[in-house]
Amino acid sequence: MAKTLNNLKLKSRQSIIGWAFVIPAALLIFIFYFYPIGRALFLSFQTGIGANMQFAGLANYRRLLSDNLFKTSLTNVLTFLALQVPIMLTLALALAYLLNDKTLKFRGFFRTALFLPCATSLVSYSLIFRSMFALDGFVNALLTNLNLITSPINWLANPWTAKLVIVLALTWRWTGYNMIFYLAALQNIDASIFEAAVIDGAGAAARFFRIVVPMLRPIILLTAIVSTNGTLQLFDETFNITNGGPANATISISQYIYRLSFQYSPRFSYAAAISFVVFILVAFLAMIQMRVGDQR
Amino acid sequence: MRRSQVKVLLCVLMLSLLTSSAAFANQTVTVWAWDPAFNLYAMEEAAKIYAEINPDVTINIVETPWDDIQTRLTTAVMAGQTGTLPDIMLIQDNALMKNVIDFPHVFADLTDSGIDFSQFADFKVSLTSVDGRNYAVPFDNGAAINALRVDVLHEAGYELEDFKDITWSEYIEMGKDILAKTGKPLHSIVAESPDLIMAGLQSAGTWMFDENGDVFIANNDVLKEVIEVYVELVNTGIMVQVNDWEQYITSFNRGTVAGTINGCWIIGSIVLPEEQKGLWGVTNMPRLERSPNATNYSSQGGSSWTVRADSPNKDAAIDFLAHTFAGSVELYETILPSSGALATYLPAGDSAAYSIPHEFFGGQAIYAEITDYASRVPQVKYGVYNYEARDAIGVAIAQVLAGRDIDSALMEAEETVRFLMEF
Repeated sequence: MAKTLNNLKLKSRQSIIGWAFVIPAALLIFIFYFYPIGRALFLSFQTGIGANMQFAGLANYRRLLSDNLFKTSLTNVLTFLALQVPIMLTLALALAYLLNDKTLKFRGFFRTALFLPCATSLVSYSLIFRSMFALDGFVNALLTNLNLITSPINWLANPWTAKLVIVLALTWRWTGYNMIFYLAALQNIDASIFEAAVIDGAGAAARFFRIVVPMLRPIILLTAIVSTNGTLQLFDETFNITNGGPANATISISQYIYRLSFQYSPRFSYAAAISFVVFILVAFLAMIQMRVGDQR
Repeated sequence: MRRSQVKVLLCVLMLSLLTSSAAFANQTVTVWAWDPAFNLYAMEEAAKIYAEINPDVTINIVETPWDDIQTRLTTAVMAGQTGTLPDIMLIQDNALMKNVIDFPHVFADLTDSGIDFSQFADFKVSLTSVDGRNYAVPFDNGAAINALRVDVLHEAGYELEDFKDITWSEYIEMGKDILAKTGKPLHSIVAESPDLIMAGLQSAGTWMFDENGDVFIANNDVLKEVIEVYVELVNTGIMVQVNDWEQYITSFNRGTVAGTINGCWIIGSIVLPEEQKGLWGVTNMPRLERSPNATNYSSQGGSSWTVRADSPNKDAAIDFLAHTFAGSVELYETILPSSGALATYLPAGDSAAYSIPHEFFGGQAIYAEITDYASRVPQVKYGVYNYEARDAIGVAIAQVLAGRDIDSALMEAEETVRFLMEF
């Protein structure tokens, strides 16, 4: 083997070594990602309850069109997306810009503090948010003591305040995560560009909008796609904070899939069809974002 | 040399394992169940009793929460890997029919196994059988109770007796008075959890499905009456809605509310605060008025033991259950005092242990009382789509409380369930 390798031309030798490195990972990805995805696609063309399945063509996809619970969950998730992702990314960008200032004191402390929420488990932070926003929870106690409200607000029992709590929770958990991407990208911008801008008389706002935002465009695009993807697959927060309530006002697509698979009479095929719709949605939204955001 | 010795040893070991598992002896029966203070404790005591009858069979008890049991069961069956499941599984009564019908051949048919099902409460046998075949050994009793703080009742000038055999409107009348005099609501409930609605339905012998298994929600007068009662309980402040189970337990443990209505297994949580000893009393739940078959008895929660049909230890598992949960009064006598695990095994009800007064409940012989309730619970079939219907009703309640009229909310609930059922 070593001898034959030596006899080959340098180029083909390198490509064989290259393939040797790539193949194990590629095989694993194929077995554990692409094969199940293929099986799920196949499953989505079948119908039946439990383990009794037969082929049904596009029946599951047609069924989606008249599924009110699916429409509710899709609307909920898109609402979270429209409200939460812009708020979070703007906040993350602004914070990253502030924390990139070399003259700022306790920079390390602030960076750590803002990133720390990402180290908490999704379930435990959700439970804490739930208890904070309970009728006799911390938030109501605080607002009452500050005389901002006279009677406690039942946050999780009202459709819009429940959505608001979810958005707040998501923002708390994920802003720091996105901020780290921006911070890393900011450090790649040559300091001399900023110096030149300062010499030319550009203010902080002008530097932010004319230099930072355009130069971070690829990273903003990346975080937007990742956040969109994450929000469409939202599960832990809504499951633990509101359990989809009140009256399905916060149920997410993933939670509906979970109910269909494990809480109701199992309909894996229909659940698989819904997952493919989510997949197509993510791909579609990412495509739009690439069109709008990527101007290379 | 050494290697070959190891090989020989291994062969001998394998052989001994093979021969021993071929016989009835030296088997290990694995059990999945949840709740250490209740189900697991009962199982451990049963294992001790069986160890004397058949010392060669080991009972291996693995604590597994109900949600995990359901998820693992579904996953294993869908993947065709039922071998990963244990020999005995505890299944919630309200999910049993669904699992038996959705996953045929997974659960052993126990009808002709020698276990005498006539020894169990009728309503429980009805919940654990499908098409007249028995698929589970009935275990704990979910007979509904109305547990009340007698001291609070006294403060407002009432006795526990005043709450026995009453209607919901009498309950509401007294509730208003007690709330006005003591500032305490009568009970609490987890918002959007339709447990009380379900208990109300069963108390009148009705369910969300008719005898053919069709959805019976939109034109269900019993259901309408139950929801009307529910709304009135919330609007009068007699029943407080809380957000989760923890808050529900806390509400009566801290004395924020004067009682609770639930399956009798809730006693395990009622007896937690030492300082409330002697202050509680137990009576039956209020009944509906307009519904023809209304009673003061219902069931809420409860679970039963199933045996896996393709398990190599199936016979040992059945033999174990037959000698313990379906045949040992001694077992029920042992587990009752410390866990309050009330049986649906009728011979146990005659045991002296059941008539012992309970100190926490002011010396009331609550177990004899609840065993009597259990014998009067109307029979219903929970059906395959029980969880779908529960969720839909939960949504309907939230809508009605937000101002929507009952008829249109129930119409939507019926459509939702119908949609989930049709394939």
